[in-house]
Amino acid sequence: MPRLILSFAFRWALGIAVWSTLLSLLLFAFVYWQTAAFMQNELAQVLRHEARYAAREPAKAVNRIETWISEDLHSVHFAGLFGADGTRLAGNLDARPADLPLDGEVHRIGAQVAIAGRRLNEELWSAAVALSDGSIVVVAHDTDEIDRAKATVIRALGLALVPTLAFSILGGLLLAGRAKRRLASTEAAVARVMRGDLRQRLPVGDAGDEFDRLARDVNGMLDEIERLVEEVRGVGDAVAHDLRTPLTRLRLRLERGRDQARDLDELREAVDQGLAWIDQTLEMVTAVLRIGEIEHGRRCAAFAPVDLGLVASEAAELFEPLAEDKGIVLAMEVDGGMPPVEGDRSLIFEAVSNLLDNAIKFTPPGGKVKVGLIYRDGKAVIFIEDTGSGIAASERDQVFKRFYRAERARQTQGNGLGLGLVAAIAKLHGFSLTVVDGIDGGCRFELGCQMAAGHLDATQYSCALPVVEATEKVDPTTSNLLQEVEHGIAKYQWQMRAPIQRTRTDPNTGWDLNDSKPVDLQGQQAPNQNDGSSKR
Amino acid sequence: MDRVARLLLIEDDAATAEEVLGDLRGRGHEVAWAATGPDGATAARSGPWDAIILDRMLPGLEGLALLRDLRGAGNRTPALVLSALGDVDERIRGLRAGGDDYLGKPFVLGELAARIEALLRRPTDTRETVLRVGSLELDLVAGNGRRGLRNLDLLPRELKLLEYLMRRPGQVVTRAMMFEEVWNYRFAPKSNLIDVHVGRLRRKLEVEGEPILIHNVRGEGFTLTPDA
Repeated sequence: MPRLILSFAFRWALGIAVWSTLLSLLLFAFVYWQTAAFMQNELAQVLRHEARYAAREPAKAVNRIETWISEDLHSVHFAGLFGADGTRLAGNLDARPADLPLDGEVHRIGAQVAIAGRRLNEELWSAAVALSDGSIVVVAHDTDEIDRAKATVIRALGLALVPTLAFSILGGLLLAGRAKRRLASTEAAVARVMRGDLRQRLPVGDAGDEFDRLARDVNGMLDEIERLVEEVRGVGDAVAHDLRTPLTRLRLRLERGRDQARDLDELREAVDQGLAWIDQTLEMVTAVLRIGEIEHGRRCAAFAPVDLGLVASEAAELFEPLAEDKGIVLAMEVDGGMPPVEGDRSLIFEAVSNLLDNAIKFTPPGGKVKVGLIYRDGKAVIFIEDTGSGIAASERDQVFKRFYRAERARQTQGNGLGLGLVAAIAKLHGFSLTVVDGIDGGCRFELGCQMAAGHLDATQYSCALPVVEATEKVDPTTSNLLQEVEHGIAKYQWQMRAPIQRTRTDPNTGWDLNDSKPVDLQGQQAPNQNDGSSKR
Repeated sequence: MDRVARLLLIEDDAATAEEVLGDLRGRGHEVAWAATGPDGATAARSGPWDAIILDRMLPGLEGLALLRDLRGAGNRTPALVLSALGDVDERIRGLRAGGDDYLGKPFVLGELAARIEALLRRPTDTRETVLRVGSLELDLVAGNGRRGLRNLDLLPRELKLLEYLMRRPGQVVTRAMMFEEVWNYRFAPKSNLIDVHVGRLRRKLEVEGEPILIHNVRGEGFTLTPDA
């Protein structure tokens, strides 16, 4: 029972019933008030008229009174003509009501009357007027008629109230029941969603009412959540896969190194190879965590005006030697006089660096990479263009979606997270990120930085708040897990490195630099450079 | 190092501490270890230490609070803050609290050692405009360098890179340190990127059988050693 009382439907039904009853009562009160007042006015009018009529011609007063009394079929008309001394001259009133003022107005008063020879005390509506000859005429009417009418109205009200109340409750219950049935099916669906079945959808009727619209909206939300959860799951799977592959490889290499190394150098070589792989793995884990960190938007605080031209040229300068070593021409095209945009200088630099690094990686020797900043349609556009193998049009939407497309890309160089990081940085800043055709079949990445109309006012730029899509991609669990992994790997790395280092260090002088043979810088580039770099 | 440096490590994770202790002791430093915030604070005050390495998340007393107390009490011992919070904002917070350097976890031991070394040997006189290391001479005002009698034709960035190395002769500098100080950006660059820049500089410094000046320290970074 308390559940019934608590239920939304019951409370609504009760509420509706009480409300409609109140409204009926009000309506009745109004009708009653209007009817009673009308009848009373009508009667008063008649009485006033009769009294004055009799007063106008004292000689015929007796006649008028007689007529007034004789017109009466129900014994409700009363009148009397009294001499100045109070004696009754005519009429069916025994005596002049003592406290009736002689003002010709209608008053309710008790009087002694004679009806069919009997003496009765009656409540009367009466008016009295003094005639010019000193006598007084009183005209009266019984109050019963009006009182009965009033009583009838009130009884009607009482009789009508019960069915009204009953029907309102019934109607309320019916409506509430219908709502409750809809709610119940929705509730069931929501319960299934809560149990983790994200494929469940709320039932949508064809009425197109608010309830249906709400259900449709919730379904849309569920679609989005399902997509995000799938993505997070994808991230988790991809990360786990990416960890397992190098760790397995590492394990095998170390095992082989330990069993088969014939001298310290060979052992060291195995360990070095292992360390390189660990670094690669750590890099991937760091990248995933970093994307999460950027997407959580913790860095908006560091926003300040950034000179994009300077960032682009510094990035170009940083990569110029790398390009030159590979026989690639790195060209610059920066429009001057561009106003600064609000952002995180270091992050924008990182994004441009990643794009440049990719461009150089995927451009064959003899090719060309161009980096620049142009002004177009109210936007400052940083572009990085190459003559590499390009990206098929069908794949262009996919390249920024990390982890999903990653499978193939991660088989090649790097971890496939570079563009994901760029996309996260772009999103944080509210920049657009697109890829179009470049020169000679290559591709061209564009970072479009919207500039406000009066672009010097820094307050016009607001930090693009991360949307749900972004914030949830690397969920806390994955994040924590990754941090654990990261630390675990790092510790292991120290342990691997330490004994070997210690064997060749003199505790008094620190380490001996002459022992570390100068290595050819190019040749020394990490072994993962050779893992292949042909396909994007 | 000319003398043994006394270092204090405040770190609650025993495994991490063990590795750091082993590495730094292996490099000839004398290292004491405190595992909690309050212990660390007591140890730090009972110095003198040449440098303090402290973790941010410590039981009992947060690392930055400890550091703030220490600085508030007038203790100026160089401090390196370790943290799993690698975020730039966190770094700024760490430096504001009085840290001299900040290293995000996980880190490579060589990176930590190099940064400690850098803290221990703060460049003596940064106002100097002519730097000399062995046969190398760098005139910062004129913007040119010489090795012996040979003029080095250096690009602006190479000049800055050489200046950075020459201010730290014999000291290992890591790629990250160079990227932070010479390029003034803060993220992990592709490992070979800095190498390519150093390689270019080396080709200008070391020609035709001249003694090598810039050495690669495997797994750690580079060091500039005087040739004479």
